[in-house]
Amino acid sequence: MKRSSPVAASLAVLGYLVMIVPILFVVATAFTEGETLRFPPEGLSLRWFDEATSYQPFTDALLSSLQLALLATVLALAVGIPATLAIMRGRLPGRSLVEGLFLSPLILPELVVGLALFQQLMLQLELDNFQALLIGHTALLLPYAVRVTGASLVLADPALEEAARGLGASPLRTFFTVTLPVLRPGIISAALLSFVTSFNNVPISLLLQSRDFRTLPVTMLDYVQQNYTPIIAAMSTLLLAATVVLAVVAERILGFARIFGGINR
Amino acid sequence: MTTAAEFVAVSRHFGDFTAVDSLDLAIREGALTTLLGPSGCGKTTSLRMLAGYIEPSAGKIMIGGKDHTDAPPEKRDLGMVFQSYALFPHMTVAGNVGFGLKLRKVPRAERARRVAEALELVGLGHLGDRRPKALSGGQQQRVALARAIAIRPRLLLLDEPLSNLDARLRVQMRGEIRRIQAETGLTVVLVTHDQEEALEMSDHMVVMNAGRVMQQGAPDELFPAPANRFVAEFLGYENFLTLPERGLVTVRPELLTVAPGDVGGGETAVSATVRSIAYRGVEVRVALDATTGAGGATTPLVASLRGDALTPEDRAALHPGGRVTVSARPDHLVSLAG
Repeated sequence: MKRSSPVAASLAVLGYLVMIVPILFVVATAFTEGETLRFPPEGLSLRWFDEATSYQPFTDALLSSLQLALLATVLALAVGIPATLAIMRGRLPGRSLVEGLFLSPLILPELVVGLALFQQLMLQLELDNFQALLIGHTALLLPYAVRVTGASLVLADPALEEAARGLGASPLRTFFTVTLPVLRPGIISAALLSFVTSFNNVPISLLLQSRDFRTLPVTMLDYVQQNYTPIIAAMSTLLLAATVVLAVVAERILGFARIFGGINR
Repeated sequence: MTTAAEFVAVSRHFGDFTAVDSLDLAIREGALTTLLGPSGCGKTTSLRMLAGYIEPSAGKIMIGGKDHTDAPPEKRDLGMVFQSYALFPHMTVAGNVGFGLKLRKVPRAERARRVAEALELVGLGHLGDRRPKALSGGQQQRVALARAIAIRPRLLLLDEPLSNLDARLRVQMRGEIRRIQAETGLTVVLVTHDQEEALEMSDHMVVMNAGRVMQQGAPDELFPAPANRFVAEFLGYENFLTLPERGLVTVRPELLTVAPGDVGGGETAVSATVRSIAYRGVEVRVALDATTGAGGATTPLVASLRGDALTPEDRAALHPGGRVTVSARPDHLVSLAG
């Protein structure tokens, strides 16, 4: 790696400070013994973690969020991977149009998407809010699935699939024995990115929520609007810890370079 | 002679570009045929049509006497070695070589035996457990060969197989591929842009340009008698001149004689001016401007002389601007079609 200039280095340090320091304040306040979100924390205790993990709206919402993120990720990959292959390897008429369609949720304001889905799916088609959320989140994740797996497909040698065909594999067999394994790091990274994107989403989840099914970010947002207790800091800290653990595990298993490089070589 | 595969009036267009133009070509059973030509001549497109990766725009592809024009690659039973080798990175070397056998439902024990046999044939018997990326380029190339051979294909197709190897290894692999071909008796089609490779390896060579066959034949028939200027240039001929009575002819640099002095030209002798001289040890290359036209028009020629055969008079004449006479035996001149 080449040496960076002192200016670039200071900017990088400043950037990290701006991003990380506020988070540290949140983490610190989560350990308070007092009743209010205040820094410095008054005393040290884990009571707010107890509160957070036993507060039923949070635990319900956490399960809902996990369920939604998992299903939406699976659906987005199931639709996105074949779509990527068709766009990049197939002889698709108007492929840039199709690609644009799959990437469009990235550009459209999510509130508009949410509102449109609310009107069409819930009011017109009378789907329940879980179905509407699942469709909304899947659409939201499609660009990530298509882009990230697409990036690894660009790096993959097209002759690999030709070689498999030449050795006697049908197109379907080639897909499962060669294409998917070669794209595995790309698919894992698309899955991680999709899962986190769905899990953190607020705008679409906000518009499509109901009393029975509400995601964790929406529930937390709702909570903060009415209460200002350290329970929210504790919940945030738990989410942060879970994300860090996920990242470390992914790094251990695959390495970030491979996850974000996205190709099995 | 039996024909293993045949192109019958095969054309392929890409938009306005004609990559292959009504190709008729028979691939002889048990022989090594090379398709030779510059990039864009249609050789790779032809090979890929034979393998089933590109559909012909017109014409028929026959394999083993049957029409395979519409058959997908997996129904053709051909072994292909790609320029990039295309080894499956998520499988071991043995997994790669056994891939085609697994698909053919060859029982495990026999599969293991045939994988070992194929790896032995390419000299990699000990590397079955490695991953392809742990191997050198030359070893990867051998694995690709073993993988293609293991299925006992009807034809072995090689797409510029040596172009990614360093010069020394490339020359060594020419002999290796010939040896493997002789041991297995396989019919081989090899695509290359390297005329030396084609001359050394082929039983039959096919020179292509602009989607058409320019000339074909055994290397020792083809090299001394190029049919036209394109083939001659591609095979490394440098001297082209139009003689009043013979039209366009070519002659190899080492078959020219250069003598001092300004002698009038007969049919096979022309007077020339030395342009430059390059000493290369054994060989001395002399660039000349031969006076060929009536109005003093000149044609560039190159003569390759033996340095140890030069007399002191020769040496005295061989300097830029020196006047010499260039001659060749009439039977060393090859008439070209244009």
